[in-house]
Amino acid sequence: MIEVVDPGRYTSIQDRGRPGFERFGIPPGGAVDWFAASVANHLVGNEPDAALIEATTSGPTLRFQSEATIAVTGGHCPDAGFPSWRAHRVDAGFALDLGRVSPGLRSYIAVRGGIEVPLVLGSRSLCAIGAFGGGVGRPLQKGDRLAIGATVSSPAVSEQWPESHRLPIRGPWEVHVVPGPHPDAFDPSAFQRLSATACLVTPALDRMGMRLDTPGLRLDATEILTTPMTAGAIQVTPSGGLIALLADHPTTGGYPVIASVITADLPLLGQARPGDTVRFRDVGLAEAARLWRRLSGWLDPSA
Amino acid sequence: MWRVAVAGDRALLVTLGETIDPSLLGLVLALDRALSDQRPAGLVSSVPAYASLLCRYDPAITDVTRLEDVIRQFEGRLDAAIPAGLVTEVPTQYDGPDLEAVAHKTNLTPADVIDAHASREYLVYCIGFAPGFTYCGTLPDELVVPRLASPRVRVPTGSVAIAGRQTGIYALASPGGWNLIGRTDLRLFEAGATPPVRFKPGDRIRFVPNR
Repeated sequence: MIEVVDPGRYTSIQDRGRPGFERFGIPPGGAVDWFAASVANHLVGNEPDAALIEATTSGPTLRFQSEATIAVTGGHCPDAGFPSWRAHRVDAGFALDLGRVSPGLRSYIAVRGGIEVPLVLGSRSLCAIGAFGGGVGRPLQKGDRLAIGATVSSPAVSEQWPESHRLPIRGPWEVHVVPGPHPDAFDPSAFQRLSATACLVTPALDRMGMRLDTPGLRLDATEILTTPMTAGAIQVTPSGGLIALLADHPTTGGYPVIASVITADLPLLGQARPGDTVRFRDVGLAEAARLWRRLSGWLDPSA
Repeated sequence: MWRVAVAGDRALLVTLGETIDPSLLGLVLALDRALSDQRPAGLVSSVPAYASLLCRYDPAITDVTRLEDVIRQFEGRLDAAIPAGLVTEVPTQYDGPDLEAVAHKTNLTPADVIDAHASREYLVYCIGFAPGFTYCGTLPDELVVPRLASPRVRVPTGSVAIAGRQTGIYALASPGGWNLIGRTDLRLFEAGATPPVRFKPGDRIRFVPNR
């Protein structure tokens, strides 16, 4: 058992999410920085779809009531007193106080065996807007107790995860996108002007999406008929600001999408902090596929 | 001509039109059915909405050219008719916090607003935004009002609302900017149920005032 002594700013149970239920209005969910989450599970020898803990901005304090093997990845946790990106054996009674997350915004705590909460619609991830999943249907609170599962796929990894196989954790960010799918809603030079702009991450962010300002750039967009949305979609609002959608995004929306962040770069969006700058660069689908294969190869060299 | 556009590195968005129109919804649903019957390699799932269909694919199995070819083979060959189904009654308590304001904006009495809203059958156009949120259309002309100037932080479960030419039901408590005219006790979303939602696009509903 793991006792939540202090939940931190916003801490929830996540896994790879529940894609495929969007037609019912259910967001795909899952770890926002899917790459850091995958590494954490890999380090402790879990299955790729094991549930783990996602911390945001300021992490939780957790007390382990039995011995466990854990790994922390993602955003830096300088006050944790605990080396990240490697598996550790901790004794019964050990308290992990993750502290602030910076640079980066989201950190992941994987426990060997996985966090054991019921599957809902194929996933253990919290769906906050639906108030289901994640064990308790809400972010973790003080006093919650988490059971540790028994499913593992391999021994824990003894080495630290190499720095050469991590993604950048601090801005300024360069994020790869493919333009579209609503080119008709913008004037022809709009994307080019956007990609020349250092966009500014605002404090208005959560697991659904993040607002970005475009200093010096005014994008005009015509409204569109409500259409399905994807994680990574960069919507342009009537005031000219941007909303980049993340894992818990509304499944449909009425703001046009000027470009969509590629899957391999979604972790970068998930780690960008308010005040950071982001530049969006068109890479094309072939390069998007290459970048995805690069990350997959780091996680599974045999693939 | 359908527009088929890249929506990130794992999806194509097929746009069949730009208006709220039963025949466009009919085409979207027919394309959705045709694709799920044919099961083209690499198509993972699809999401219908009003006049568009999002097709998610696995780029390790297919690519945009092949998938677009599969989609285009159906262009001009689908029946836009929506199969006639039962009309589901939605028992509604018309006591929403915006009922008076809607009456004021439309120069109607609250009783007229209720009569007009409950006077016709609606088509479900989309389940989206949040789990189970049910978008229906289209409203009688006299009930067309804009969204609220500033959205509510929390709209209660079961709220029946209107905005523009649409009426909708908030299946769950969520933020929202539509005008709330009533509420229903009908459960529209249940995570443990199969399927988890009460309605799907193409269904027909009628709001029935509680007496």
